[in-house]
Order: sequence, then C-alpha cells, then structure tokens
Amino acid sequence: MKQQYDRWILFIMLLLILVGLMAVYSSTSVISPDMIEKYRKKGLAISQFGFLKKQLFTVLLGIIAMFIAYRTPLKYLKKAAIPLLVVSFICLVMVFTPFGISGGGARRWIRIWPSAFQPSELVKLSMVVFLSWYISSAGYSRDRFLSFIIPVGIMGVFQVVFLKQPDFGAVMSLGLLTMAMLFLSGIRLRYLFSLGILAIPVIIKLISEPYRWKRVAAFLDPWKDAQGSGFQLIQSFIALGSGGLKGVGLGEGKQKLSFLPEVHTDFIFSLIGEELGLMGALFVVFLFFILFVRGIAIARKTQDTFAYFLAFGISTMIAIQAVINFAVVTGMVPTKGLPLPFISYGGSSLLVSMTAIGLLLNVSRGGGESQAHYKSVDNKLKSPLVVAHSASINRWQRGHGYKRYSKMKRT
Amino acid sequence: MNKRAIILSTVIIFGFCAVVFRLVDIMFFNHDWYSARARFQQVKREFIPVKRGIITDRRGRELAVNLDTESIYCDPAEISFPDKIASTLSEKINQRPDIILAKLSAGKRFNWIERKLSAEDTQVVKDLRLRGIGFMPDIKRYYPKGNLASHLIGFVNVDNNGLEGVEQRYDRYLSAKSEKLHVYRDAKGNVLSDGQGLSLNREIKGNNVALTIDEGLQYILEKNLDAAVTRWKAVSGTAIMMDPYTGEILAMANRPTFDVNNPADATPNQRRNRAVTDCYEPGSTFKIIAGAAALEEGVVTPDTKFDCSSGHIEVGGKKIKDAHKHGVLTFKEVIQKSSNVGTIKIGLGLGREKLYEYIKRFGFGEKTGIDLGGEVSGWVRPPSRWSGTSIGAVSIGQEVAVTPLQVLRAYAAVANGGFLVRPYIVSEIRSHEGNVAYKAGIDARRILSEKTVTIFRDILKTVTEEGGTAIGAAVDGNQVAGKTGTAQIIDPKTKTYSKDKFVSSFVGFVPADKPKLVMIVVIHEPKGQTYGGVVAGPVFRTIASESLSYLSVPRDDSGEKGLLMVSKK
Repeated sequence: MKQQYDRWILFIMLLLILVGLMAVYSSTSVISPDMIEKYRKKGLAISQFGFLKKQLFTVLLGIIAMFIAYRTPLKYLKKAAIPLLVVSFICLVMVFTPFGISGGGARRWIRIWPSAFQPSELVKLSMVVFLSWYISSAGYSRDRFLSFIIPVGIMGVFQVVFLKQPDFGAVMSLGLLTMAMLFLSGIRLRYLFSLGILAIPVIIKLISEPYRWKRVAAFLDPWKDAQGSGFQLIQSFIALGSGGLKGVGLGEGKQKLSFLPEVHTDFIFSLIGEELGLMGALFVVFLFFILFVRGIAIARKTQDTFAYFLAFGISTMIAIQAVINFAVVTGMVPTKGLPLPFISYGGSSLLVSMTAIGLLLNVSRGGGESQAHYKSVDNKLKSPLVVAHSASINRWQRGHGYKRYSKMKRT
Repeated sequence: MNKRAIILSTVIIFGFCAVVFRLVDIMFFNHDWYSARARFQQVKREFIPVKRGIITDRRGRELAVNLDTESIYCDPAEISFPDKIASTLSEKINQRPDIILAKLSAGKRFNWIERKLSAEDTQVVKDLRLRGIGFMPDIKRYYPKGNLASHLIGFVNVDNNGLEGVEQRYDRYLSAKSEKLHVYRDAKGNVLSDGQGLSLNREIKGNNVALTIDEGLQYILEKNLDAAVTRWKAVSGTAIMMDPYTGEILAMANRPTFDVNNPADATPNQRRNRAVTDCYEPGSTFKIIAGAAALEEGVVTPDTKFDCSSGHIEVGGKKIKDAHKHGVLTFKEVIQKSSNVGTIKIGLGLGREKLYEYIKRFGFGEKTGIDLGGEVSGWVRPPSRWSGTSIGAVSIGQEVAVTPLQVLRAYAAVANGGFLVRPYIVSEIRSHEGNVAYKAGIDARRILSEKTVTIFRDILKTVTEEGGTAIGAAVDGNQVAGKTGTAQIIDPKTKTYSKDKFVSSFVGFVPADKPKLVMIVVIHEPKGQTYGGVVAGPVFRTIASESLSYLSVPRDDSGEKGLLMVSKK
C-alpha cells in the first residue's frame, strides 16, 4: 500500500525556514560601521543581503538533500548506518587537521569549499540513524548490558572529541539524544541510572573548568556581572521582554545592533521575540511542538522497527535541540552554542535538519513498510563489531525468544 | 504507544510547556521592566551643537569665531578596567591618570573626560577603540585676534555661555537654544538614522554681532597705550576713541589686559574693563563743566578777566594753589593754562546750584548707558551735602568720581555741537541668514547751545597751541582741541592727596572743526613725569595721527591747497 507523505511536516518545516530567513535577514541586514571597516580591511565587500543569500543557497542545497533522503529506500539507509557514523567520525576528527577552521576559541568546523561545515550536526543525525538500526537489529536486547554499553561507548568517543573542540553543547545534546533513544528502546532503567550516577563526577569535573563555571555562574545570577559573563543573557532578556505581546515590529528590533551577541545564530529566537512579540515567539514554539507531535504520529503509524526508531529519533532530535535553544535563550539552562533548527543562520544545522525531515517524510510515506518482513540484516553486514555482536545475540535469541517492538506496540 | 514512548514524549512536551511559561513570564509580565531597560541602553540623547554667532568689527573683520572640536566622554557602566584605560588615556591626552580615573569611576553614566580637543588629538584616542569611551562634536570659542579688544569682546565658559563683555551682554543673541534629539544607538554608540533625514549634522546658529569698533583703530590705540604704560611704568591705563556725533565706540582698551583665549589664567584685575568700571577724580579735564556752564548762563564772556596773580585762592578755609603763578588771565586763558584759581573763581560766580545742575547735565553721576556689563555711575554729591571747600574742589575736578567714558562723552558734546550722546559698542545684530535682529540707534540730547560750543571749541584748540598745557598733543596737519588733566590720588592710608601718585589724562577731539574722533587717554600713576600734557598728551597725538591717516582724513590745510578739490570735480 502506497501512502502519501505527511504534508504537515513539510509545511511546518517550510514555515520555520521562512521565519528563519526573515529573522536572519532582519538581524544581518543592519551592518555597523565597525563591521564595514572590518570587512574592508580583509578586502571583502559586505552587503545587507550577504547572509540571506548564503542561507538561501543552503536552503536550496537542503531541498536537494531532503529529496535524496526522501527517495532513498530505508533498507539502504540501514546498510549505511555504520558507514555514515564512520564518515561523521572522520569529519569530526578532521577539525583538528589543517582542514579545520577555528573560531571563537573552538575548532568546530571543517573547510568544504566554498564554505565551512560543522560535523557535530552530522554526528547527531548519524547517531540517530545508527541507533535506529542498532536497536531494531535482531542482535539488540534491552536486557543485555552489552547492548547498552556499545552505543554508550560510541557516544562516549564522540563526546570526548566534542570536548576537545571544545563544544559542550554538542556533548550535552548528543548525550540526551542517545539516552532518549536507549530509554525508548526499553533498555533496563538500572543501566541508565547507573550511567547517570557515573556521569555525575564527570559533569562536576567538566563544570569546574573555569570558563564553564563562569557560564554557570552567569546563568545562576546574570545581573552579578551584567557587563561581562551575564551580558549575553541579560541582552536576551531585554530583547524578549521589550518585545511584549505584539513585538516592536519586524525589522524594528534594536537589540541586534551589537547589543545581543550571536543574534543571527544561537540567539535568533530572542530577535523573533523582540520583533514579533510573545505571539510570534509562541507561534515558533508551537510549530516545533506540532513538528514533534506529527513526527511521533508518523513513528506510531509505521510497521517497521527501524522506521519507528528513526522517526521517533529524528523528532526527538529536533525537539531536544529546539527546547534546549529556547531554554538557553530564556535563561533556563546555562549558555551553550546550540543553534535553533531551521531558523538560526548556519548551513550545517539547516542542511542536516532538512535531511532529517527528508527521512521523516520518507518514513511517513511508508518507506519502511516494504522492508517490514526483514528479520535481520546482521549477517549481510560486514562490520566486525556487529558480526561479533550478532553471533552472541543469535545464541541469546534462541534461548530467550525475541519480541519485535513493532508487535509490542500494537498490544 | 508503549509506556517509554509516552514518558519520553511527556518529558519533551513538558519542556515545551516550561518554555511557554517562561516566555509568558518574561515577555508579558515583565514587559514594562525590560522595555525600560531596553530604552535605557538603546536611546541616546544627542545634543545638536549650538554655534554662537560670530563677533565682527564695523568692517566685518572677525573678532570671535567658532572652532569645530571634539570632546571625549565616558560611560563608567561600560568600562571594565578603569585603571588600565586611565593610564592609556593619560598618555594620549596629557592629563593626570588619577583625574581621569576619578571620571571613569564616577556614579553618573555620562562624564566628560576632556573637552574641546582638535580632531587630530581625538583620533589618537579613537584608534584605541576603547569600550565606554565616546566622542561628541563640540564647539570652541576662539578669538583670532588674541588680546585685541579683549575687555570689549569678553569670553565664554566651557559651555559657551558668555561671561564678560559683549559675549555676556549679548549672550541672548549670540547663543541659541540647544536642542535635544532622542536617537537610537547601537551598543558601540553609533547613532542610527531614523530614515527621515535625521539631521544630526544640522547646526543651530546664533546671531552675528557687528561691533562699532574698527580693528585697525583698536590696534593703533592698543599699541600706543601699551607703549605708554610700559614707558611710564604706570599701574594701569585706559584709552577710548569714539565717534563724537553718534556715540559709536571706535576703539577701547585698558592695561593691564589678558589673553582672551585663556581667560582662566587672568586675574580679575586684568579682566576689568576700567573704561566703564573704574572711577577716578578727573582733575583739570573737568574744568570745562564750570567753564561751559558759565558761558551758557552768561556769567562770563570769553574775555572776562580773572586775577590769578596770587597763585592761590582760599575756599571754605582751604588754600588751593596753581601750578604756576599766572597773573591776570582772560576766561580763554584760564582754560588754556588750566588755572585752578581762575576756574574756582568762575565756579564761585556760577554758584553751587548751577554748577551741580551742569555736572548732572553733562551726564556725570549717572551711567552712560553703554552696552557693556559692569558700568558704574560714578559719584557726585548734591550741593546740600557739600562742604565750604566743595564748590572750589568740584570746579577743578576734585570730590567727584567719574569714569573715563563719562569724561569722553562730555567732550564729545563740545565736539558735536552740544549734544550728549549715548555711547554704544554693538551696531547691528543679524541672524545667520542675514535678517536684522537689532540695530543700534543714536541717542543724543542737547545740553549746550551752538554758541557756547563754538566758543569753547576755540578755547580748547588753544590748549595744544603755544602757551597751552598740551603742546605735546598737537597733531601735524590737523588741529586738536582738548584738555589735559593731572589729578592727585587720595592715598587710602592717610586719606589725603598723595604727593607722588597722579592720574594723568588728556581728552580731546580732532580735527577740531570737523571732529572725526573724540578720544581720552588716562594713565594711572605714571612714574617720573606726572603732567597730563607730558604723559597722556603724546599718546593722544600718536594715536590720533595714526588713526587720521588710517581713516584717510585730509589735513586741515588740504582744502586750501586744492589737493582734494581736483579729485572731487
């Protein structure tokens, strides 16, 4: 049975991108004399459309990427799960090579002509694909510690690399995302709890890093150092607060005039709040909420385990990033560098998010259904890790029997 | 959906809800508070600089102008390391670091660091790109001619408010009301356009003031006054030149003087415009009052004889002496030779009531009404309070306190045919577009008859001729009519007239028959020589002679030789 793809998802995504383009243009079309000076020294011209054009170009690329993701049969995606993860890892490690670009004291980008790419965005999606495949694979058992520790180990490796960059935001979002998916898979809670307890000293150790502690302190009491570490958060509050119910009007915001740092990237939601008011801000929150709810609905409809986890994972990934970004901007969690999907300026996030939506649409049209009869692909995969794993799983399966999640959720 | 999916979804939905509540809290319930904070940092009050009107002389030569400068200010709230910035700035702008530091850590959000620097000086600071340090165009008053006419022009304070002279008196015309603009700024202090041609480049301009003085004459007057004060090691000196018919002050100067571009360094003594603020006993120059009164009242004729052979006269039990014994003098000769005895006899013939009436008629004891600040009225006692000696003392210019300008005005009346004029310094005020805002008018009243004036003018001519007291004041080519004055100064300690402290003066007009200018020179406490004819007379001569050639006034005898007649027809 051929299903239609979910038009709501596509519509909401396009709406979010539109809001994003608007906000990006609003925040970057005003160019301060200092910026002009800075660009002139580099021998570059600066135009009010510069950022908008780049973002529009990314949207076009994203549509292509989305279409490819939409058309790719999920069985191929399943096969690509591990290579995708490996490619992501190579990209991630490349930031430390001469291909890497550093900015703001962190090495987070690699050079891909003519632009820069942030591999951490790709890692999140690869992780979702990998986990979806891994959890849906025949060798996975929610009661086996090994099934828990392998993804956690992979996550740990990525997180260590993230910390080296450093990119604490990526560490946190990848951690949350992995935990959410493992939780969803029905893994024993005691595994999660014990990992949580183990993580406490690590988190304490990380937070005690002076610059991170400064961020935490600024989060706890931004007014204490209003001109220093608390500046960004206070400016974000002022932007949102001055917006009021209806906002100061599109393009009329003043906080983008060098008051609010990173206004076109991580703090773009503040600008939306200032210019479009509470109504505009709630509208954006509402769009993400609907996106999440629709994503889960797609997951529920699918018969395929892989597709189920993929849809749920992607929905969760976008929702987690959005909620964390909202929370940062409104001072509910300490500041970290996380963009708002679809809206923040930045090619990597937009490209990956659009690809993710492509996959979600793929699932929604029943892309996983034709593969529903697939029992296991373990043997076909040549990865030594998985082969070794699957051997033990097969043994375990014979002894205990194996329940398919797709069946389970029907009961 | 299984339980885990429900829990996970619930947690995320809970996150969405938390965000919504938080947004409502910040954006709805705390909207006013954050709006106020936003305005506080985004809106900036920008003053449109006011350009004071310029001050020119009668020919439009600029005496006071404006320089475009820049001032540096700071916002302490935006400054993170005041110590470091203070030491950096102190090198760049030559100011003590502790003074800068105090401003950088002040409680207000706007503090001047340094006012009115040149663009080159502020550029050095701009290049540092310091946060919390801002720049504002400022206008500095500048007097291109330096000390010239400093007492007349006056000066302004750092906020361009006139403090003295014309700057103070005509402040209301010269300055204009400053306007404030509320403009949006970015975090770095750059001002935003409002998209409707926000005119920050607009200037508010005050009215331009044209003075009656002539820069050339002022220069001649100052140069010679300066030389005289230096030569005679005098305590102070004043000279005023006026158009006798209109009351226009053509030049006015005092010594000591001060640098009008650095008024803060000047003492009040240097800043005083003695021409209008200081009184002195005029001595012999005052004798024309009794003389003119006696002629006007018909008490004497020009040839009435007075016996001055004793060389002294007793009035009210006091002996008043002449400098030399003169013998019998006619009325003319009494004035020419400045005989005290003769003048007192004239005064006695006139009577105290009439003498006092004429003193008042000549404008003594009241302000001349010149448009300069700080003028005093002088001091003349009414006859009811005179002692027995007073009628004698007053006749020869003692027991009265007058300003140099009052004396000048009295002689102008003789020069112009009997009119007492109101002296003035500002002839015209125009807005920067050229509309006339004020125009001075001649204010004159007749105090003497034509006949008396003609007689008296002839008498005054003889003063600079052979036998007069001021041969040294005679100008080559043009006849000078005038009168010397040598007055003793009352020693404040002994309350009697000092033996060696004098005020030497000469007042007169030239050319005598068609006066172009009337001028007074007063030298206080010259050393060595004391006689007005010796000390002040030559100063009058040099100034008058240079001024007449500056004004291209023909020699008195040129008409006879027909030199100008040829060119005229």
